[in-house]
Amino acid sequence: MLNKKEMSSVLKSVEKPGRYIGGEYNRVVKDKKSVRCRFAFCFPDTYEIGMSNLGVRILYDVLNREGGVWCERVYAPWEDMKAKMEEYSIPLSAVESGDPLSDFDMIAFSLQYELCYTTALMMLRLGGFPIWARERGEDAPIIIGGGPCVYNSEPVAEFFDLMNIGEGEEVLPEICRLYMEMKEKGTYTKSAFLRAASHIEGVYIPSLYDVSYNDDGTIKEYKPLYPDVPKKIKKRIIEDLDKAPYPDKLIMPYVETVHDRIVLEVYRGCIRGCRFCQAGMVYRPIREKSPETLCKNAKCLYENTGYDEISLISLSISDYSQLRELTDGLLSWTDDAHVSLSLPSLRIDSFSEELMQKVSSVRTGGLTFAPEAGTQRLRDVINKNVTEEDLMRAVGIAFRGGKSSVKLYFMNGLPTETLEDIEGIAKLASDVVHKYYEMPKSERPRGVSVTISVACFVPKPFTPFQWERQDSLESLEQKQEHLRSHITDRKIRYTYHDARVSFIEAVFARGDRRLAPAIALAVEEGAMFDAWDEYFDFERWLDVFRRTGVDPDFYTTRGFATDEVLPWDIIDCGVTKEFLLRERARAYEGKTTPSCAEHCNGCGANKLGGKNKWCS
Amino acid sequence: MVQLTPNKPYLTMRLKFKKVGSLQYISHLDLVRTMHKIIVRAGLPLWYTEGFNPKPKMVFAAPLSIGTESVCEFMDIRLVDDISPSEVKERLNRNMTDEMQVLDAYYTDEKLTALKWLDYSIEIKTEGVTYELAAECEKLLRSGRVVVKKKGKPHDEPRTADIAPLIKEAKAHISDGLLCIGCTLSADASSFLNPEYVISALREGCGILSAPDITKEYYSIMRLVARRADMSDFGEH
Repeated sequence: MLNKKEMSSVLKSVEKPGRYIGGEYNRVVKDKKSVRCRFAFCFPDTYEIGMSNLGVRILYDVLNREGGVWCERVYAPWEDMKAKMEEYSIPLSAVESGDPLSDFDMIAFSLQYELCYTTALMMLRLGGFPIWARERGEDAPIIIGGGPCVYNSEPVAEFFDLMNIGEGEEVLPEICRLYMEMKEKGTYTKSAFLRAASHIEGVYIPSLYDVSYNDDGTIKEYKPLYPDVPKKIKKRIIEDLDKAPYPDKLIMPYVETVHDRIVLEVYRGCIRGCRFCQAGMVYRPIREKSPETLCKNAKCLYENTGYDEISLISLSISDYSQLRELTDGLLSWTDDAHVSLSLPSLRIDSFSEELMQKVSSVRTGGLTFAPEAGTQRLRDVINKNVTEEDLMRAVGIAFRGGKSSVKLYFMNGLPTETLEDIEGIAKLASDVVHKYYEMPKSERPRGVSVTISVACFVPKPFTPFQWERQDSLESLEQKQEHLRSHITDRKIRYTYHDARVSFIEAVFARGDRRLAPAIALAVEEGAMFDAWDEYFDFERWLDVFRRTGVDPDFYTTRGFATDEVLPWDIIDCGVTKEFLLRERARAYEGKTTPSCAEHCNGCGANKLGGKNKWCS
Repeated sequence: MVQLTPNKPYLTMRLKFKKVGSLQYISHLDLVRTMHKIIVRAGLPLWYTEGFNPKPKMVFAAPLSIGTESVCEFMDIRLVDDISPSEVKERLNRNMTDEMQVLDAYYTDEKLTALKWLDYSIEIKTEGVTYELAAECEKLLRSGRVVVKKKGKPHDEPRTADIAPLIKEAKAHISDGLLCIGCTLSADASSFLNPEYVISALREGCGILSAPDITKEYYSIMRLVARRADMSDFGEH
């Protein structure tokens, strides 16, 4: 390894060296002599993105509260740094100690997005490890996966030793305790440890299952190798968020990160049931934190960070049942302290003048809403539960309140979509522009601009649309063009996602273990940062699929049969298949389903427990 | 003691601080954002700028570029209460890491622009460090004509400049096998000389630091003392 001085030449030769140095205020440094389990928390993206992730911040705090455990952070090097690391044999190391990954007992990856898989595996390679779990020796660290992607981690299951299914605040310390205990007693071997860990609720050990396939390529069954290994892995949740630990300080990055502010997690789960939305299903049941706890967290974090912005985080902030108490509590001191509040994820139907007053102090920037579909018919199919009137009312308030730029999120390729629905997007956007011109000229803010951003539908596991076929690439691209031809107003800006990215995303979202060789091959050929436009290489993906005998259409444009064994059937995320099928049937009937706050729809997540006022 | 008046409702406190070790890789812009949070965390009675987006006022002297360490950085903050400099220093240091610490704090009326010169210590590990090389380097830097290529936009014509008038003093010696350069460079806002240009001049003029393996050769730059026009220590008050 290079010493500090030799390393200085490397750091002086790369872009933004500040992201590789660590040394931040509020980071945790422990005495190695007192540490029995060294835990590397890896984020498969750049420092600036990884440092912004709330889940990592929470788990870093939780693990470092644990005696004997030292959790450190690891981020992906940017391409210029990666090249230098390869040229001078510099192993990937943790930010806190600068020690290489091989010094660690556990290496965990936060898998936030399917397209980060290659980056995670590249990091393992830079750490000096074989990417296949079976090729790593007895002495190699335990490689752990967690985050939203593990609700179907099958495409990468054979690269990991252990998957953390669900919330990690309790599971990860339990895993570390088991490890330290076995090491102390001298009973540790990797296989004995993994076998014992499989008994912890929320732990999935991919190597303990045998997967067989039918002649048509669908899955025949998942068979545990031993009788004591669970047939299905139940997602783990924190029952009472008020009692769960929340960081009282945040690591203060020197370089600017994506979300450089205090983040308050207001609640987990969602009372809505948008039928395309995976987060809305897998984070159930809803669990709110009390305004008292949140206000206490906020004050403490302000004093320990000096940030001038507090962001209230949840899937849909205006659904928080005590939003007024919370904002009043915060505003009682934030103005004097020159701290502003930001409320992302506002729903159209709950946007109010009052809310706008509270956020308007924040930024002069625009507002973002997500109608998701262009017609009421399709919005009912996806259970979005917002109307055109809701949208017009919301943008009216925004324009009157001095906002002149509005961004609208849509999706194309949704089940049952027709060209009329696509045209509806253009019409909705121009109605928003008209709404602006309806105002008397003297009251209008200057320079209206309406941006429509259109994503492509990806069928995701554990949603009512998990069985749906994804629209073909050609069809998605035609629809994008069709929409463009219907936008005539110059005040409307139109952006859309690359359909090829959504296609690859769908392959991995609904994929199974037979994709692993393709991913391994892509990594071997240098794939990394697929989530970054400039590094996404569609042709390479098609090429590795071809060379490893994978038919991507099998996972994308093929509709999955409702009686087929799904790759993610091994996981129990709370929400039942019966509920998802009921919701799917209602989608085809064009019927909406009320939110949890109005009526319990029996999704099944209540059996996981959790303190809230709605689940029976 | 200066009094608070409606025209000048704040007191200016000068901070002398160090920024060393890995913090040499933090840009000036990132330092400003970091310092903002440090002074808020320290709970000082800060004066905020008026207007739509009030911010505590901070003014820095001679921004440090990436790759240079310093034990003589200066910045001014504005306070609305007469708080003792030792307490300010203590509160700030509790909110900083070891690599950045306040060395001195004091109330002053002297302008930051009175800082005119900076002493640097440059240590270079390069192939073939000999007394002849040291003498050659010293001779070049004191020759009255030191031409370097100026950094510009990639598409611009390369420009050159003679930096000799901006070098007040330059000495070279050898210590522990390293080539050590001590120099005093202009820090005036209108003619600030980045010490990286001294490295470039030596690289071009004396052929140092040209090995293909960049880890075999390296250099470090440290700002040691800030000076007024009369060469007195700017940090003395």
